[in-house]
Amino acid sequence: MLEPISVSMESLNLGTLTPMLVAIAGGLGILVIDLIRKDLDKTLYVMFSILILFVDLGAVFGQSVGERGFFDVILIDGIAILSQIVILVASMLFIPLALTSKRFHEFSYPEFFALFLFMVAGFQFMVASDNLILIFVGLETASLALYTLIALHNRINSFEAAIKYFVMGALAAGFYVMGAMIFYALTGSVELFKIAEVLEAGNFANMTILLVGIAFMIAALGFKLSMVPFHTWTPDVYEGASATLAGYMSIVPKIAGFVVAMRVFGFLIQSDVVWVRDILYAAVVITMTLANIMALVQHDVKRMLAFSSISHAGFVMAAIMIGTTQANSALFFYWIMFLFTNLGAFAMLWVSRHKAKLWDNRFDHPYEKFSGMIQIKPVGAVIMALFMLSLAGVPPFSLFWGKLYVMSAAVNSNFIVLALIMALNSAISVYYYLKLIVYMFLKDPTQNEGTVYAQNTSKPLQTIIGFSAFMTVFAFVAVDPILEIITAYVQASGF
Amino acid sequence: MDHILSVLVLFPAVAGLLGFIVSKESIRAYGLSVAAIEFLLSLWLWLSFDGSYPGFQFVEVLPLIPSFGINYYLGVDGISLFIVVLSTFITLVGLIALSVEKDLKNMIISLLFLEMTMVGVFVALDAIVFYVFWELSLVPMLYIIGAWGGNLRVYAAIKFFLYTFAGSLIMLVGMLVMAYLYHEATGVWSFSITEWHRLILPENYQFWLFIAFFIGLAIKVPMFPFHTWLPYAHGQAPTIGSVILAAVLLKMGTYGLVRLPLPMFPDASVYMIFPVAVLSLIMIIYTAMVAYAQEDMKQVIAYSSISHMGVIVLGTFAMNPEGIAGSVFFMLSHGIVSGALFMLVGVIYDRRHTKLMSEFGGLAHVMPRYGTIMGIMVMASVGLPLTMSFVGEFLSLAGFYQVSHTMTILAGTSIILGAVYMLSLYKKSFFGEVTKEENKNLKDLNGKESMALWTLVLVTVWLGVYPKPVLEPINTSVESLVSFMHKKAITKEAKDIIKPTVIKREAE
Repeated sequence: MLEPISVSMESLNLGTLTPMLVAIAGGLGILVIDLIRKDLDKTLYVMFSILILFVDLGAVFGQSVGERGFFDVILIDGIAILSQIVILVASMLFIPLALTSKRFHEFSYPEFFALFLFMVAGFQFMVASDNLILIFVGLETASLALYTLIALHNRINSFEAAIKYFVMGALAAGFYVMGAMIFYALTGSVELFKIAEVLEAGNFANMTILLVGIAFMIAALGFKLSMVPFHTWTPDVYEGASATLAGYMSIVPKIAGFVVAMRVFGFLIQSDVVWVRDILYAAVVITMTLANIMALVQHDVKRMLAFSSISHAGFVMAAIMIGTTQANSALFFYWIMFLFTNLGAFAMLWVSRHKAKLWDNRFDHPYEKFSGMIQIKPVGAVIMALFMLSLAGVPPFSLFWGKLYVMSAAVNSNFIVLALIMALNSAISVYYYLKLIVYMFLKDPTQNEGTVYAQNTSKPLQTIIGFSAFMTVFAFVAVDPILEIITAYVQASGF
Repeated sequence: MDHILSVLVLFPAVAGLLGFIVSKESIRAYGLSVAAIEFLLSLWLWLSFDGSYPGFQFVEVLPLIPSFGINYYLGVDGISLFIVVLSTFITLVGLIALSVEKDLKNMIISLLFLEMTMVGVFVALDAIVFYVFWELSLVPMLYIIGAWGGNLRVYAAIKFFLYTFAGSLIMLVGMLVMAYLYHEATGVWSFSITEWHRLILPENYQFWLFIAFFIGLAIKVPMFPFHTWLPYAHGQAPTIGSVILAAVLLKMGTYGLVRLPLPMFPDASVYMIFPVAVLSLIMIIYTAMVAYAQEDMKQVIAYSSISHMGVIVLGTFAMNPEGIAGSVFFMLSHGIVSGALFMLVGVIYDRRHTKLMSEFGGLAHVMPRYGTIMGIMVMASVGLPLTMSFVGEFLSLAGFYQVSHTMTILAGTSIILGAVYMLSLYKKSFFGEVTKEENKNLKDLNGKESMALWTLVLVTVWLGVYPKPVLEPINTSVESLVSFMHKKAITKEAKDIIKPTVIKREAE
């Protein structure tokens, strides 16, 4: 006879799963509501989603650092909590952008919101585990939902973008699995902490095979974080997706990816496997610089922002490469500062979204569109300029503090050359941000109708933009409290 | 008033924000009254300033980001006091003479924001606060050059922005390294400039940090070979933009040299005297020659600005009280004189829409009042005794004479070359017969212009004849700065060169 295996509720520690379960239940709830009543409109779904995310956030705050649950595959450490908070807050801020004045039919499907919540749950799984398999499940759940969300934006471009993203994503998934397999083959475990233990105990024998595994991992995560040279999908996918989703994609999947990268590469960097650091160093520098140079030659603001967000991601990857507590805190800090600014910038594009292509055969937001905006919509132009200045790192706007902190983390760990490269990259990047400002402020308008820049506007959108502008300008007040919280969480999880 | 510095910094910013609501018709009056109040506030600051106390006064400290050692830390000493007064003064005078019609409201609001950043830079004692104002000053200036400038305005504006921004980012890395070293030495994070002064660093570190800070500051000065943005910026900027750029923004660079690298890295500064002096000499002589070759009046003054800034840098690196006090005084006089000269070119540009010297001739007959003021200012620019420039130039060169006789004599050619290009400018445009038909009926200065320009003439002559009220507080602070550097220097060489002697006041 087989011995019965008993599993007690306490050992499952289901509390650790609550946040994800809330999001999934919310998504199912939306589908059920749709089954019962067909005539409900998007405002209900948007607000419902926000409420679900709010409850989810509450559940995250309720968790305590250092817990494991569900057969120990869920790991709630400081960075898990922190990144879930960022993911949820960003999602809550992005979803109201669905409340546009123009009709975009993807937002009238309740499935959109259900998928959105499933995606959020996927990201939460991804960050709240150090089990390579669960990370994979989270990653794929989120990605599949995201592909569909992109394709729902009913345009040829969007289908193309979704398919491109899907194909690339599938390739990345393959790489991820290969990497995980090699780790498993080397150590007999899929749990990162055990992998670390075994590797350290064996004093990093089988270096060559480990290198192959890490190369696969870098490729897989490189796709998700759009590190150069795995970045080629990014601008096309951003271009095809609606501005809302493009903005969302530039922030949330990235932070989830950063957390995974931190967990995967963290122990390797801390154990002084020199070449991991070298590979990452090269990747970081190339990503920052090349994306910057590509952004210089773009004609479309959205594509420029896509390349700029690649460059920002490279900037932040440097924090993972440095690997100190300050650097890892700087990563979260930078991304929170980036969140508000990029949210605002993409929301501004979203507001000026026009169904007809008035300026260019291909692009929705060519630079010419914004010429002379200061004379037509002065407030809009000033706000957009604020976001651009912040992205460029002009003090005292939010992203300057992020850059300051990342660069200081680099300096403090003796990466002075890296800090100089970062400085030079900021200097290059200022050119393309300035280009938009030049168009808005220094050129004469090509049309006299102000409505062009506010085609899509509505009260909720204005609120979101106002909020991000406020955060961008007055970030310096919040720097200290945010840093304190972040550092506490990061320290608590030993990074 | 305990918070007079905060008021000085924030008043123009708040006024700028409120300016958006003011109607188009009354915006000029609004701008003028705000600038006048700001100027009166700065005069009050001067009156309540204790000239015999060498340290920082009216100090305000508020924790901004305590965990990182960033404080909202303001204060003035004799070195910064008068540059603050200069900033508010030039803004007021510039606004009086402002002749812009297009988008006047945006212009005035930009100027008010610019005024905030200028005052902010000169009173900030925390490196990050300094950096914030330093960078922020680029934004309104970008707009002023780019929106109201000449044909190549956008190119000039972007060039100006990119150059300064790139340079200051390197300075930012230097600041971060400095904070790190301070933390290593004391265990506390601090970005306070006064705290950094106390840090004694090994020569090697000093050298690299000096370079990082120097690049950021030198681009702003602008030192040769980073000077190429300036002729474009001046050439394309509207009159008010050139006035403020020459009078105040360039001073941020030279002020920064006195405030940051000199007391922070005395040994490296001494080590770098020769290279910096060579660069300054190139600036002085080469740009003076280029100035002579110009056909555009504004370009002559723009290049003469670079040349004079070279003398200021040279005086700063004399490392003795005469030189540094002289260069601080020269910053003020150059601010007033070059501001006035740019304003004068603006006057003629408003009437004829050209600045080419070949278009003029015999202007002194047509516009006698204009010719008089131009004459006085040309003399002042050349450094004639009894004008403010003489005091500054003389002291700067006298200071550097103690370091190197040959170099000082070479630098002295700036006076001769200055006379050559300025007088030839004056001769070509003001003397002789009125050859061009269009010039025969030009209107002389109007009330606004006269008022603005005569104020500048008065200050130039007053402080040229009697510089004591300004020079004395500067001296007090500079003397304490130099003796501090002398005490702090670690190498014998530096101790020998930094001479904390009491200044003899030849200029009186």
